[in-house]
Amino acid sequence: MRLLQSILLSLLPAAAFAAKKPAADKFEQFHTKSLSSTPLKLDDSIYPKLTAAPRDYSALVLLTALEDRFGCALCREFQPEWELLSKSWTKGDKKGDSRLLFGTLDFLDGKNTFQSLGLQTAPVLLLFQPTTGPHAVTDNGPLRFDFTSGPQSAEQVHSWIARHLQDRPHPQINRPINWVRGIAVTTTVLGTITFLTVAWPYILPVFQNRNVWAAISLIAILLFTSGHMFNHIRKVPYVTSDGKGGVSYFAGGFSNQNGLETQILAAIYGLLSFATISLALKVPRMTDPKTQQIAVIIWGGVIFVMYSFLLSIFRMKNGGYPFWLPPFA
Amino acid sequence: MSDTVAEPFLKGNTGRNTRGILRLSILVLIAAAAIASRLFSVILDPWFNFRATKYLVSHGFYDFWDWFDDRTWHPLGRVTGGTLYPGLMVTSGAIYHALRALTIPVDIRNICVLLAPGFSGLTAFATYLFTNEMSTSPSAGLLAAAFMGIAPGYISRSVAGSYDNEAIAIFLLVYTFYLWIKAVKLGSAMWGALCALFYGYMVSAWGGYVFITNLIPLHVFVLVCMGRFSPRIYVSYCTWYSLGTLASMQIPFVGFLPIRSSEHMSALGVFGLLQLVGFVEFVRSGVPSKQFATLLRGFVLLVFTVAFGGLVLLTVSGVIAPWTGRFYSLWDTGYAKIHIPIIASVSEHQPTAWPAYFFDLNLLIWLFPAGVYLCFQSLADEQVFVVVYSILASYFSGVMVRLMLTLTPIVCVAAALALSSLLDTYLSVKSPEVPVEAGPDGTNGTPTPSKKAAKQDGLRSMRLPIVGIYTTFSKVSVVSALTAYLLIFVLHCTWVTSNAYSSPSVVLASRMPDGSQHIIDDYREAYQWLRQNTKDDAKIMSWWDYGYQIGGMADRPTLVDNNTWNNTHIATVGKAMSSREEVSYEIMRQHEVDYVLVVFGGLLGYSGDDINKFLWMVRIAEGIWPEEVKERDFFTDRGEYRVDDGATETMKNSLMYKMSYYNYCTLFPPGQCQDRVRGVKLPDVGPTLNTVEEAFTSENWIIRIFKVKDLDNAGRDHASASSFDRGNKKKKTIKKRGPKVLRVE
Repeated sequence: MRLLQSILLSLLPAAAFAAKKPAADKFEQFHTKSLSSTPLKLDDSIYPKLTAAPRDYSALVLLTALEDRFGCALCREFQPEWELLSKSWTKGDKKGDSRLLFGTLDFLDGKNTFQSLGLQTAPVLLLFQPTTGPHAVTDNGPLRFDFTSGPQSAEQVHSWIARHLQDRPHPQINRPINWVRGIAVTTTVLGTITFLTVAWPYILPVFQNRNVWAAISLIAILLFTSGHMFNHIRKVPYVTSDGKGGVSYFAGGFSNQNGLETQILAAIYGLLSFATISLALKVPRMTDPKTQQIAVIIWGGVIFVMYSFLLSIFRMKNGGYPFWLPPFA
Repeated sequence: MSDTVAEPFLKGNTGRNTRGILRLSILVLIAAAAIASRLFSVILDPWFNFRATKYLVSHGFYDFWDWFDDRTWHPLGRVTGGTLYPGLMVTSGAIYHALRALTIPVDIRNICVLLAPGFSGLTAFATYLFTNEMSTSPSAGLLAAAFMGIAPGYISRSVAGSYDNEAIAIFLLVYTFYLWIKAVKLGSAMWGALCALFYGYMVSAWGGYVFITNLIPLHVFVLVCMGRFSPRIYVSYCTWYSLGTLASMQIPFVGFLPIRSSEHMSALGVFGLLQLVGFVEFVRSGVPSKQFATLLRGFVLLVFTVAFGGLVLLTVSGVIAPWTGRFYSLWDTGYAKIHIPIIASVSEHQPTAWPAYFFDLNLLIWLFPAGVYLCFQSLADEQVFVVVYSILASYFSGVMVRLMLTLTPIVCVAAALALSSLLDTYLSVKSPEVPVEAGPDGTNGTPTPSKKAAKQDGLRSMRLPIVGIYTTFSKVSVVSALTAYLLIFVLHCTWVTSNAYSSPSVVLASRMPDGSQHIIDDYREAYQWLRQNTKDDAKIMSWWDYGYQIGGMADRPTLVDNNTWNNTHIATVGKAMSSREEVSYEIMRQHEVDYVLVVFGGLLGYSGDDINKFLWMVRIAEGIWPEEVKERDFFTDRGEYRVDDGATETMKNSLMYKMSYYNYCTLFPPGQCQDRVRGVKLPDVGPTLNTVEEAFTSENWIIRIFKVKDLDNAGRDHASASSFDRGNKKKKTIKKRGPKVLRVE
């Protein structure tokens, strides 16, 4: 590295005269190319050309791996946003006033570049600031954009660029109007209205049925009280591995849970409630004493066993909990 | 529960009196139990409210209203009268003056401590009234009151000494709902006005009033959709809405929000809808022609569309305030995490995992759905309210732990409905006679409702007439099992209350190996130190969680506190904590900070310390200065948040890290320095501090206080000054020249 630098330094006097003019041309050259298709498709030979040291323009390069076999979901998710950003930027800046070029280097075309940069992960977004000209910066390493917090939108990247390329034009992002979606929504709405008008006499009884509403309410309550919103917000895994190759259904810790765990809980609560409802409403309406006796024993037993099970699960979650009921002591 | 043995004085007129006395004494006992269970340990906790109350009592109401507090939010100060809910302070002030007028000498401190338990007794009573409106069974109300009195979900916020808004707000919530049900049932303007009055009181007491503001309109809306519009609803809602809105606008903190912010729009919308529906009903009763009815319907649709369009237009043009972040985060659950870290950082705003439900409600949680189902039996207006309330509150409590508090009352009510229906069935002494030839109409038992009524649109399980329970064995087994469950519930509540909810946040209790309790009192030790050893106007910088405590217990001005209205100022503190010392020093000088307080749990294994909260400080600071503070820099390349040898440079150089671990390793023999919270080994050489110096460290190292150094006498920067003090030789600074650059031209 040191050697390279000194060589470069020694070459500078010669290069300075030579490079000055062509550098401007280099931007023009790349810019006209990008007007027809942006972002520029780079490979191992173009990439060094684009990012070579004396440059009076900025370059934004996305290093990505789109091929399916690399399994880079983030790359594929970001790709449309990236294309949208570069297209609308280039379109809004046809004259090249911002002096910013967009390039994409896929892993397939640029294995050597990836290697020389020592990249293990993709995508990586690098911003090369100009080294000469009015906006030159002294620090000549590229800036790296953060993908840590998941897929980024074009607007976020746009504001990031805008922060770094001050007092230069920042063309706005023009999201194309999503016609397909608009049409789909309209069709669906119209279809639903039509369907409702035709089927109204049949739907109305269902709609007014008390049992249906009772079921909906109870399901909603069971979902919420068994911690469904926690799953939704924290995006917890469905099951976790127990470290011995198996799966554990219950997450350790008081303020943690698995997806399956909440479903088991909802089922337990549901069963307990159903047994209670049966004992309170159905059993006293039975006319046959024998059936009634059996029903009482069954539902009472279900409540007892299930409640005991529930307590034992809770003791698993909360170590010092002292209460239990017989079967699952 | 009521008609057990046919004793002579349980019948007729005397019977009614006896039952009344019994009921009264049971209620009094429940209230007493509710109060007693909250007295496990008494320490006054939210110090800001207490300070405000003292100010109110000593300076009078009008001064309190105009109070400008210059000891918080230094250097900004806080217009306290206009930025708080005054209900709590005014309540205790009123009680104080009332007792004084009765010549009972009492300290305002005692009132503040006992306010929450006292009001919990009232809550139990309000729950009793509310439940009695829902059910004909006399036992349901008493059961609900008992549940409400001891349910841990409510105790958590109302132990003696937890002097917070929720202490009185839950009583007001339940009582407002009771008055609302009463108003709907009777269609009376008087009850509606009373409801509005208590609603106004509630608005003055707690920000959670928005729950009422949305629940009552939703109830009315559902009723209208069910085709149950009636003059009763019209009268009660219009009375409540107009008076209640006027009342709520009297609170300076709320001001014109009720007509501008979107959270209140549903109430306004339903008010408009009721006028329309009322008008249409009125006209229809006068002009019964069919064509006219169609015309009317078209007219209603038109008005509705125009109103909706207008609302959208006003929101877009910005006349109506956009959704406030806190409210928005309730619906779009990912919103807060991205846009408002300050809301997401509060532990009360986290979603609720299922153990929390079971912990707070125990068996009520599965009796709850059963009770809601029973409400579908005779789906009258008030039962619709229970159903709507249940669904809404379960959703909200799932999104935010703190809203468990609004769920608890309805869970108690619904569970009591379910349990009382069970007990009424199985505790009845009368058994039906065994049908001789198994006639299909076994109507020889207890009262049977007419089959026709049940058939029309009742529940499936209600189609047949009630017969009763035949055998004593069934009765005994069910009742004894229920008794066992209830006993477990009581034990559970006692256990939860004594273990989890009765240790205030300033005092930590831990168990010694032999089971005895050990009290860790570092917070108060440190606050006492501040009070005795620092100047009266020394400014203390700490993370906002401790602002109220420092203001109250140490009586020193703070930079930020628990009232999080100014995000920028909090971000400033976050930046000072997460930046390099030199950067932080500038900030601290600008804000005249004298002392910095950090909470460090590494020695004791106390996980709620500042290093664990540190990422939130970074995030909040990053929201304002994305260029200077970056969350990414605090994670290693592999994306780990580390504090040991592998910590990132930014982390190691941050003021918070340095202060937390300063001199920490001198406690341990070399090579064994350990952080017991994060469970990692620390490097032997700890960080050095240049711009601040250690002033105080509490017994268990939980609180560390550092004094900000003054400017150096000799005009050196702090790094070289302290390097000189340590006896390091001054390094010959070799002039660093950049790479040679050839001048062109």
